[in-house]
Amino acid sequence: MRVSQLRRAATVGAAALIAFGAAGAFLTGPASAKANARVSVVHGIPGQPVDVYVNGKKTLPDFQPGKVAGPLSLPAGEYDIALTKPGDPIADALLTVDNAEVPGGANISLVAHLSADGKPVLTPFVNDTAKLGAGKTRLVVRHTAAAPAVDVRAGGKPVFEDLTNPKEAKADLDAGTVSADVVLAGSDTRVLGPADLDLKEGTATIVYAVGSAEDKTLDIVSQTITGLHSAPGGVPSGTGGLADRGLSLPWYGVGIAGILLAMLGFARLATGRR
Amino acid sequence: MSRRGGLVLLAVGAVLTASFGVAACQARPAGDFESPAGTSPVSAAPAEPSVPIQDGKLPTATAADDSPTRLAVPALKLNATVDAVGIDAKTGDFAVPPSVDQVGWYRFGPGFSAAAGSIVVAGHVDSAAEGKGAFFRLGELEAGDEVMLTGPGGKTRVFEVVARERYRKTAIPLRKFFARDGDPRLTLITCGGPFDPKTRHYRDNVVVTAAPVS
Repeated sequence: MRVSQLRRAATVGAAALIAFGAAGAFLTGPASAKANARVSVVHGIPGQPVDVYVNGKKTLPDFQPGKVAGPLSLPAGEYDIALTKPGDPIADALLTVDNAEVPGGANISLVAHLSADGKPVLTPFVNDTAKLGAGKTRLVVRHTAAAPAVDVRAGGKPVFEDLTNPKEAKADLDAGTVSADVVLAGSDTRVLGPADLDLKEGTATIVYAVGSAEDKTLDIVSQTITGLHSAPGGVPSGTGGLADRGLSLPWYGVGIAGILLAMLGFARLATGRR
Repeated sequence: MSRRGGLVLLAVGAVLTASFGVAACQARPAGDFESPAGTSPVSAAPAEPSVPIQDGKLPTATAADDSPTRLAVPALKLNATVDAVGIDAKTGDFAVPPSVDQVGWYRFGPGFSAAAGSIVVAGHVDSAAEGKGAFFRLGELEAGDEVMLTGPGGKTRVFEVVARERYRKTAIPLRKFFARDGDPRLTLITCGGPFDPKTRHYRDNVVVTAAPVS
């Protein structure tokens, strides 16, 4: 008897959980599906201009290496993407990716680059567009080069270690200029840089290592996403108290005493007349 | 005798009550005002051209200096040095210059020649160490009062006060006042309202908004 009651309670509880879960999914689903995705295209294959087709339509003609296009505003869904030599038919594409998933509301970078072993590939990265604290900047480094694992150093100190193709590393830093370089992981053998990066406040700077170590075409492509700033926490601008023009307690005493005296006076006058 | 005593009491009482009233009136802060013009954010969406393409060069080139250098408010007989300031790393707050006769321009936001957004200048109303600050009388500005900002090379932009507001620090819409889009405007901020001698902080912020005079 007891057991069956317990079981019944458990069943009801489970049913309720499922119902709530379903409702939650239903409520959050459409909102995120509705917002368009913002898609940028990054060209990180040295020496090969391309035409970019999205769903069979030529979207970026004669797109040059080292350039960043977009952002395009695309409804969520699946897309067929093809890269051809400029003017070539889509059937002779250098690279095709079918049914690439573009989630709603996301900020995405589609990067044409070389894999670790030197083959052209297209990798989607989701960009972190969370708001930055006031005074902060975001640095994202993506290894998209035909090269071994690397360390990224700022001011000579490793900040991102053992980064491999096609991975990314990121950090939120104080805005300003940093001197950065890229070395083979665990070594002092510099493969890129050094370069002074002006990391602007409220901005994400995405740095792509591209090209091929073997072909000596290693290079940097960078993309920025602005508008991630926040307002300061507050504006503290006074510690003296001189500007407090509120009434101090003694003034209230004066007011009350005045009213009492006046009432007393009236009372005297009234009784005196009688 | 009792009648005269009554009259005296009445007179003294009336004087005290009246002086309380006068003090209360003087203590009342000037009310907020806002003229609707010049504060609405711009939302005109440009027609979508072909896909914009940027050169993926590293962000190395620093933009030309656009720091304001002086702020003048003739109505307050104020002419103060403007420092370029950022964020206090310890608190995350606006790093208002400690010297009370200087005011601070928020260097991460719009600069002197901004065509959009809020150029923010904040200054001390006072300090425990140095007394009255540059913005001691900011809350007395009225609609139409002129504010002059001097920029690089001695260029001057003239603004006209369009709004004066007072907010509790816990409720001030800082996002609006530090917006980097919308109509160009100059936003002056200081402290005000009741002072808490224990924490040595004012409860409120006073914000004056001025629109550029075309």
